[in-house]
Amino acid sequence: MFTPMQLGIALVRNRISRVLDAVRGILYGAGAHEIVLYTVRLRSDMENLFILVTLGDLIGVPILPPYYSLRLLPYIVPQVSSWKRRVLRERDILDADGLDLLA
Amino acid sequence: MNTLIALVIGVVVIYLAYLFYAKRVDATIIKADPKKATPAKMYMDGVDFSPTDRNVLYGYQFKSIAAAGPIVGAITAANLWGWLPALLWLLLGVSLIGWVQDYGAMMMAVRKDGDSLTAIAHKLISPRTRTILLLFIFVYILMILGAFGNLLAGALNGNPSVPLGIIVLAAAGMLAGQMLYKWKMDLIVTTIVVVGLTLLAILIGPLVQGSVADFNKAVNGLGLTIYYVETTGAVLPFTTSYMFWLLFVVAFSYLGATLPIWRYAQPVNYIGFWVMALTIVGGLLGAALAVFIKPAVANFVVPAFKVFDAGTGGALQPLWPMLFVTIACGAISGWHALVSSVGTGRQLEYETDALPVGAGSMFSETLLALLALMAISVAGKGAGAAAFAAGVGQFLNVFGLDPTYGTALGFAAFVIIVITVTQLALRFMRVVFAEAFGEMWPAAKNIHIGTIVSAILMIIIVLSGTFTYLWQIFGAANQLMASLALMLVTLWLVEQKKNPMFAFWPMAFMYVTTIAANIVSAYNLWATVVLKQSSKPELWFAVAGAVAMILISLFLIAAALYIGWDAWGAYNRMKSGKAAAAPAE
Repeated sequence: MFTPMQLGIALVRNRISRVLDAVRGILYGAGAHEIVLYTVRLRSDMENLFILVTLGDLIGVPILPPYYSLRLLPYIVPQVSSWKRRVLRERDILDADGLDLLA
Repeated sequence: MNTLIALVIGVVVIYLAYLFYAKRVDATIIKADPKKATPAKMYMDGVDFSPTDRNVLYGYQFKSIAAAGPIVGAITAANLWGWLPALLWLLLGVSLIGWVQDYGAMMMAVRKDGDSLTAIAHKLISPRTRTILLLFIFVYILMILGAFGNLLAGALNGNPSVPLGIIVLAAAGMLAGQMLYKWKMDLIVTTIVVVGLTLLAILIGPLVQGSVADFNKAVNGLGLTIYYVETTGAVLPFTTSYMFWLLFVVAFSYLGATLPIWRYAQPVNYIGFWVMALTIVGGLLGAALAVFIKPAVANFVVPAFKVFDAGTGGALQPLWPMLFVTIACGAISGWHALVSSVGTGRQLEYETDALPVGAGSMFSETLLALLALMAISVAGKGAGAAAFAAGVGQFLNVFGLDPTYGTALGFAAFVIIVITVTQLALRFMRVVFAEAFGEMWPAAKNIHIGTIVSAILMIIIVLSGTFTYLWQIFGAANQLMASLALMLVTLWLVEQKKNPMFAFWPMAFMYVTTIAANIVSAYNLWATVVLKQSSKPELWFAVAGAVAMILISLFLIAAALYIGWDAWGAYNRMKSGKAAAAPAE
C-alpha cells in the first residue's frame, strides 16, 4: 500500500517527467527533425535509384539481367509498396525541397 | 507601459483564445477524431508521409513559421503608428484569424489526403485557380527576395560589426553539412562546434568593425551610385558599398540555391535556428525580468499611438488597411498555410494533434513578434535590424552582458534569420522558374541559369524600391494568400456541410483589407515616385522600379479577384447541390 504522500510524490514525478519529455520533443522537433527529414529524403532518393536499377522491369526498364533481380528480390520486396507510393504520388511545385524551411 | 505588462497581457490573451475559442472550434465544428486515420498513417512512405509525435511536430512547425516576418513587421508598424495598434493587431489577429488559417489549412489537408493547397484549389474551385495561385506564389517569393535583400544589404553595409559573423556562418554551414552527412559525426558535437564558431565570430565582430568600415570606404571610392526615392519623397543614394553587400547576399544565397540542400542551405538554417533561439530566449527572459532588475530598460519609450495616417511626402499610410499588411507573420501569414498543408499536415499522427501543433505554434509565434515589438518600444527609434538589435542589447544587458556585444548578437541573429530565408527563397524561385518556363525554354531547367535569372530579378527589385513599399507589397501578397487559404477552408467547410463562419469572416476581412492595401501601395508609388520624379533622368531606375511594383500590386489585385470570382462559382455549385468537382480546364 502506498501512503498519500508517496502517491503525491509519484504523481508529481510523473508530471515532471511528462513535461521534460515534451520539452525534449519540442527541442528535437525545432532543432533536429528537419535534419532527419532531409536524411530520410536522401535515403529515399538512393532507394528509388536502387529499385529502379534492380527492378526496372516493373516499369519497363530492364537494366539488370533478371537472374540478379531475382536474387535481390527478397531484399527489395519490403520496400516496393512504399516505393510505389513515393514514385506514383502526384506532386506539384509546393512539394519542392526547402519549402518547409522558408516560412 | 513596460515589458512585463506587455508580456503578461500577450500570454493571457493567447491562453484565453486557445482555451475558449480554438478548442471549441476543434471540438464542435471540425470534430477532430483521434480514431480517424490521417494521411501520415494511410499513405505512410517513410519520407513525406510519416506519423510523428505531436511535441516534435509542434517544434518543427514553430521553427518553420517563425522567421524574420514577425520581427520586421512589428518593428516597422511600431515606427509608423506606435506600439498600441501593433500590439492590438498582433493579439486580436492571432486570436481571431491567424490560428484559424494555420489550423484550418492543416485540418483541410489532413481530411483531403494530404493534398497541397494548390491541388485542393484545383479540385475545390477550378483548374485556373491552381495556375493563378502558382503565379501568386512566384510574385510573393520575388517580393520576399526584394524586401529581404534590401534589409540585408542595408544591415551589412550600415553595421560593420555584422559581416564577420555572416561570413563565418557560411563556412560553418559548409562544415556542418560535411560533419553531419559525410563524416556522420554526432549531432551534438557538430552543433557545439558550428554554433560555437558562429557565436564566437559574432562576438568578435565589434572588434574588427574598424577594418570593415575602412573596406566600405574604399569600395565607396569607386563612386557607382544609384538613386532611389524614400517614402518621405527624399532622393537618397544606394552607395557602392551597399551594392557590394547586396552582391555578397546574392553570392551567399547562390550557394544555398544551387548546392544540394543538405550540403549548405539546411545546415545554415540549423545554425541560424540556434543563434536565433538563444537570442529569443535571452531576450524574452531579459524583457520579463527587466522590471525587477533594471526598471529603466523595461519602460516603453515609443509613443502608444502616433497618428492614423503615417504617410509623408504625398504618400498615404492609413492605419487601415496598411497596418494589417505591415504586420503579417505574428498575426496571420499566408505562407503558414502552405507549410501546414504540405509539411506538417502529412506527418500528423492523430487528427487531434492539429490543434496544439497548428494553432499552438501560431500562438507561440505571436510571442516572437511581441519580443520584437518590445525591443523597438524600449529602444525608442531606428528601423528594422538596428531597432531590434538595440532592444535585444538592452534586454541582454539585464544579465550583465555588455550592450556592445548584446547589440552585436541581436544584429547578427536578425541578419542570420533573414539571410537563411533569402537563400531558400532564391532556391525556391529557381524551382518555380524551371517549372514555369522549363517546357518552352529547356535551359531554364539548368539550376545555374534559373538561379542567375532569379538573382538578377532580385537585384532589380532591391535597387528599384524603398524598403517600406517593398515590405508592404510583400505583406499584401502574403495576406492575400492567407485570405485565399481561408477561402479554401471556407469552401471545404461548406462542402462538408459544417458551419463555415469562423473561417468566412476572417477571410472576408483579410480579402477586403489586402486588396485595399494593394491599391494604397500602388497609389503611393504612383504619387510619390512616378508623378514627381519621372522628369529626372538620374532617377529612371527608381521610376521604372516603381512602375514594376505598381504592376505587381495590380496583378495581385486581379489574381485575388479572379480567385474570388471562381470561389463564388464553386460556392454556388456546392449550394445548389451539383457535383462539387471543379469544371474541366
